[in-house]
Amino acid sequence: MPSRSSHATGSWLPVSSYDTLRTCLAVAGKDLLVEQRTKTAFFSSLVFAILVLTILYFARDATAVSDLDLAPGALWVTFTFAGMLGLNRAFLLERENRAVDGLRLSPATPTAIFLGKVLGNLAFVGIVELVSLPLFILFYDVPIWRQLGLLLLVIFLATTGFVAVGTLFSAIVVRTRFSEVMLPVLLLPFLFPPIVAAVQLTRRIVALRPFDELTGWLSMLTAFVIIFFTLSLLLFEAILEE
Amino acid sequence: MTRRERAIRSARRGTVITGLALLGLTVVYVRALVYTPVERLQGLAQKIFYVHAPAAWAGLLAFAVTGLLSLLYLITRDRKFDLVASSSAEVGVAFSVVMLTTGPLWGKPVWGTWWTWDARLTSTLFIFLLFVGYLVLRGAFNDFEIRARFSAVLGVMALALVPFIHVTVYWFRTLHPEPVLLKPERPSLPGAMLTTLLISIAVFTALFIGFLLMRHALTVLRDIREEETVDANA
Amino acid sequence: MPQADPTLSLHGVFRRFGYRWVVRDVSLEVAPGEAVLLVGGNGAGKTTLLRVVSGLLKASKGRVERHGAIGMVAHHTMMYDALTARENLRFFGRLHGSTDRTRIDSLLDRMGLLHVGDERIGTFSRGMLQRLAIACALLPEPRVLLLDEPLTGLDDAASRTVIEVLAELKASRAGMMIASHQLVELVGSADRVGYMVSGRMAALEPSGDAEQVVTRYRELAAGE
Repeated sequence: MPSRSSHATGSWLPVSSYDTLRTCLAVAGKDLLVEQRTKTAFFSSLVFAILVLTILYFARDATAVSDLDLAPGALWVTFTFAGMLGLNRAFLLERENRAVDGLRLSPATPTAIFLGKVLGNLAFVGIVELVSLPLFILFYDVPIWRQLGLLLLVIFLATTGFVAVGTLFSAIVVRTRFSEVMLPVLLLPFLFPPIVAAVQLTRRIVALRPFDELTGWLSMLTAFVIIFFTLSLLLFEAILEE
Repeated sequence: MTRRERAIRSARRGTVITGLALLGLTVVYVRALVYTPVERLQGLAQKIFYVHAPAAWAGLLAFAVTGLLSLLYLITRDRKFDLVASSSAEVGVAFSVVMLTTGPLWGKPVWGTWWTWDARLTSTLFIFLLFVGYLVLRGAFNDFEIRARFSAVLGVMALALVPFIHVTVYWFRTLHPEPVLLKPERPSLPGAMLTTLLISIAVFTALFIGFLLMRHALTVLRDIREEETVDANA
Repeated sequence: MPQADPTLSLHGVFRRFGYRWVVRDVSLEVAPGEAVLLVGGNGAGKTTLLRVVSGLLKASKGRVERHGAIGMVAHHTMMYDALTARENLRFFGRLHGSTDRTRIDSLLDRMGLLHVGDERIGTFSRGMLQRLAIACALLPEPRVLLLDEPLTGLDDAASRTVIEVLAELKASRAGMMIASHQLVELVGSADRVGYMVSGRMAALEPSGDAEQVVTRYRELAAGE
């Protein structure tokens, strides 16, 4: 019989990468299944995104600020707030009926649970982004088609960083009252570097600037994603234990 | 020596250090106003620099102490690190506020604007916001073990964040004068000004240590009282 | 003391919440096939003790050794309202590394839930949820079963089923800890009774009938 003492259960190192992958996919799949059942968070986020895009379009002097000048900032403000709506949901789900205890009683490692939650959130936020992106291109008349691959890369990088940190913090705030207020207060400072970088990159991409002008911000964004994804992964274990 | 006696002794030390530092602060004021030459371009407004920069230094020091002790707490799970980290955050808020209020007071006459999105000013604004977020988060938990653990996670994350914020704003644009102290070749401040600045930095460091000792002692004493109350009820 | 190779051993376990000690210095071993019934008033530390034993809570002091998979029934169902009974079991089965559909069906059948297997559990009654939670706890074929008020919300027939299932598990040499106020129903399943008074295990004695247990508990609680 395998013997586990209370001290050994806390190890964050994956027992085997196959177990980690299986658990990760199970957790992400479960989250998406629940979302597909209720659909509330998805449609709320989407409607919210469309509303923000619309309001930002009108929240300027159209004679002074062109569509193209406004577009990058509008896109990322929209993505940020729409994404944040989805993140709170991810751990509220585990909180009701204390389902997270079921996860913790299972042999699933904190690493696998974290990766599963990140994957589920990434899919959720990614789908909201992919649906609102064409609307953005339409509303702001952005000539993006030739550079779409580059823009998608920037969206992927910034969203990954955002979701990794957001997953960690949503697991923290879900334990407090007023978690809806607490999440933006804690999370937004951490979104400042990736969002500013993403806006700067988007600005250059829609202006069809040469790739040379992207490398600085792109490497900063990549460094942010790598460092904060790793940190969130390592620190998640400390959040999960009780 | 009991824990209570140690706390009281460290509170006394804190009081003495703070008292000496406050005396030092008057020395800084007198020296800055009377014995340090008036800066040629900025005039008298530049005098606030001798408070502004050292306050920023003390705020940053508090931030680093909170972040590093958060990390130590997560590794050792020893509560004493958490108590120091949280005391340091509270002291840090005070220094950040000094920095954020003296900055615009200096900026208005010199740059003609109260606020500028300069890298150091913006980083300090974020440090202030992170400190407040940290303290708000701590207030949201009743159990001190969860409070310590969760706020330590935030402390470590915040420590890693600040360099990124600095670089982000720096690349965005910067109005601030070049770094004046830590230049590789030689400091560009004239001798008398540099001396005043260094004295002020030493004084603010002492102030930070004094505040931290007192605040921490208070936290420990409060902790002891809670423990005794609950034990008496049990 | 029970025979060698216990399924579970606790060595001087303490747990505090904030400044309050909720479990103090509890040591015991649970042998294979043995059931320990925890008896105590509200706030005596039964639930916290079970959560520490399960590993959901860390012990503030002391050590817990578990040998083999843990199954747990707690106050909360620990499942997702938006999913069906079968989907919930399949998800937790997958976490435990098994996707055996026939086992899920036979557990649902045993708990009388086969006909509602494809309904979302958000619509379930308290008793149905409780039975599903028990099915979920049995899913990983636990060597140790921890039951916190396993009979809440159950009618007579369902209670009898649960007590039968407990007897089967004991026969298959699983160790058990049960916290409950329903002494009359459960005392017969227990080999030993642990009396919890303000966080301490005041006594750990062979089980008797419900009346004896109640008398003994009052005696110990008055002594505090």
